[in-house]
Amino acid sequence: MAIDAANPVPPNFTRCAGADQIPPHVPPELVRSVGLTTGAEFLAAPHAYKAGLHHTQPPIFYDVSPHGNAWQLLRHDDALFALRHPEIFTNEGATPFPRDPDDYFYFIPIEIDPPHHRKYRNIVDPLFSPHGVMKLEAQIRERAKGLLDDFAGDGACEFTTAYGRPLPVCVFLDIMGLPQDMRDTFVEWAVDLLHAPDRETMARAMASITAYLKSAIAEKTAHPDEGVVSRIAHAAPDGVPLSEKEIFGFVCFLFIAGLDTVFATMNNIWLWLAQNPARVEEIIARPGDINAIVEELLRAWSVTFSGRMLAQDYTMRGVEMKAGDRITCVLPACNFDPEAFPNPTAIDFDRPRKTILAFTVGAHSCMGAHLARLEIKVGLEEWLKRIPRFAVRPGAHIEYRPGGVVGPEFVPLMW
Amino acid sequence: MRGALYNGVEGIIGECGGGLSCATCHCYVDAAWTARVGGPSSPAERELLDGAAAEVRPESRLSCQIAMTAHLDGLVVRLPEKQYD
Repeated sequence: MAIDAANPVPPNFTRCAGADQIPPHVPPELVRSVGLTTGAEFLAAPHAYKAGLHHTQPPIFYDVSPHGNAWQLLRHDDALFALRHPEIFTNEGATPFPRDPDDYFYFIPIEIDPPHHRKYRNIVDPLFSPHGVMKLEAQIRERAKGLLDDFAGDGACEFTTAYGRPLPVCVFLDIMGLPQDMRDTFVEWAVDLLHAPDRETMARAMASITAYLKSAIAEKTAHPDEGVVSRIAHAAPDGVPLSEKEIFGFVCFLFIAGLDTVFATMNNIWLWLAQNPARVEEIIARPGDINAIVEELLRAWSVTFSGRMLAQDYTMRGVEMKAGDRITCVLPACNFDPEAFPNPTAIDFDRPRKTILAFTVGAHSCMGAHLARLEIKVGLEEWLKRIPRFAVRPGAHIEYRPGGVVGPEFVPLMW
Repeated sequence: MRGALYNGVEGIIGECGGGLSCATCHCYVDAAWTARVGGPSSPAERELLDGAAAEVRPESRLSCQIAMTAHLDGLVVRLPEKQYD
């Protein structure tokens, strides 16, 4: 049954976690506990590990973890199918992000199944369309140049704090219509919310974000402007204004979805560039191919996962899944599926264009995909103009974070 | 494609939002219009069309790559049976 987005209630789906909660229909030979985002092999070299899963694991297996048990889909074609059939694989209740049960809200539009999600997407999609984001290009370029002015002459930087995180936050604040002096605070909140080692820090970050976004929404309700917060606050699809809960759930979701994923993608890409100077030269020599280059980098360095829940029993590749089971499309592994992308770990800017899964697919295909592509393109072009040769600082140890957004913690660079 | 998507025209999915990355806005341009609309506008469009779920014909295009102008007022396109499997 479709949920009522204006009147959110916490879901009461059962959640299986741990070895003693494996449903009886799961065949023992498909049960694994591989530490998909937490294990030592993952943390040592996460993308190589994801690529290797095609050789070490069956295409569909049931992963058992204290964070939750779920079927894992590794194949590109299986993920396309699952993500394009919401009547089988639903988004309702599939976003495990904790919320206050006494002030519950839905993350909009990610938790709303089609066709209802379209009502929300139509409010913002024109701004985030390829045509819409083109208008932002000059502004993004100025933000990138401004950041580079601060450190390009220093001969060294810690990439994530100097560029990888602040650039997307500057752009996000511009688009949302929020003040630039919130930049460092937003970075801190996003990092605490998604990567803090303890739940208290996470909860504190969520409380700060909630208070700030609520006051920003109130302000934009009173004083409309061109920004996205204002646009959502004043939206009235089919003449019906959105409720307070819908507005908050939408704005809050954009914060969660739009920051950390872009940070991590940029941090991954720049680390690889720093380790592959010949490929940097190739990129500099092929300015006309920048879009294909960015697409291939996104394929290889994608950072996140798509979770869904079975709305009905379904058999895939002979594996019987039951209504209520959870699945995870392991997008970084799908992008290394050798049947979809021959010689998958080679980064080849001349690959024929094919659907990559960096931004997932289906009705919930990332609304910020074109913006993310543009940020990476512009961020890369401006960086290479100023810092065409750079390397990882000798002796630096690259550590990856455990968790559902794959990227290095710090990337110390020198030039 | 955007015109179809925002107005609930069924049969065009356009799931990537016009980014030339999914081939779910495949359409067949009516014979009377093919000369004016032209063929695929880039190698990437041609490569993505190769992966379209329905039969690909000489008049196939990804509709996100057809920019609507006054020049194309009255354009007739037909939609394939499916945009994906």
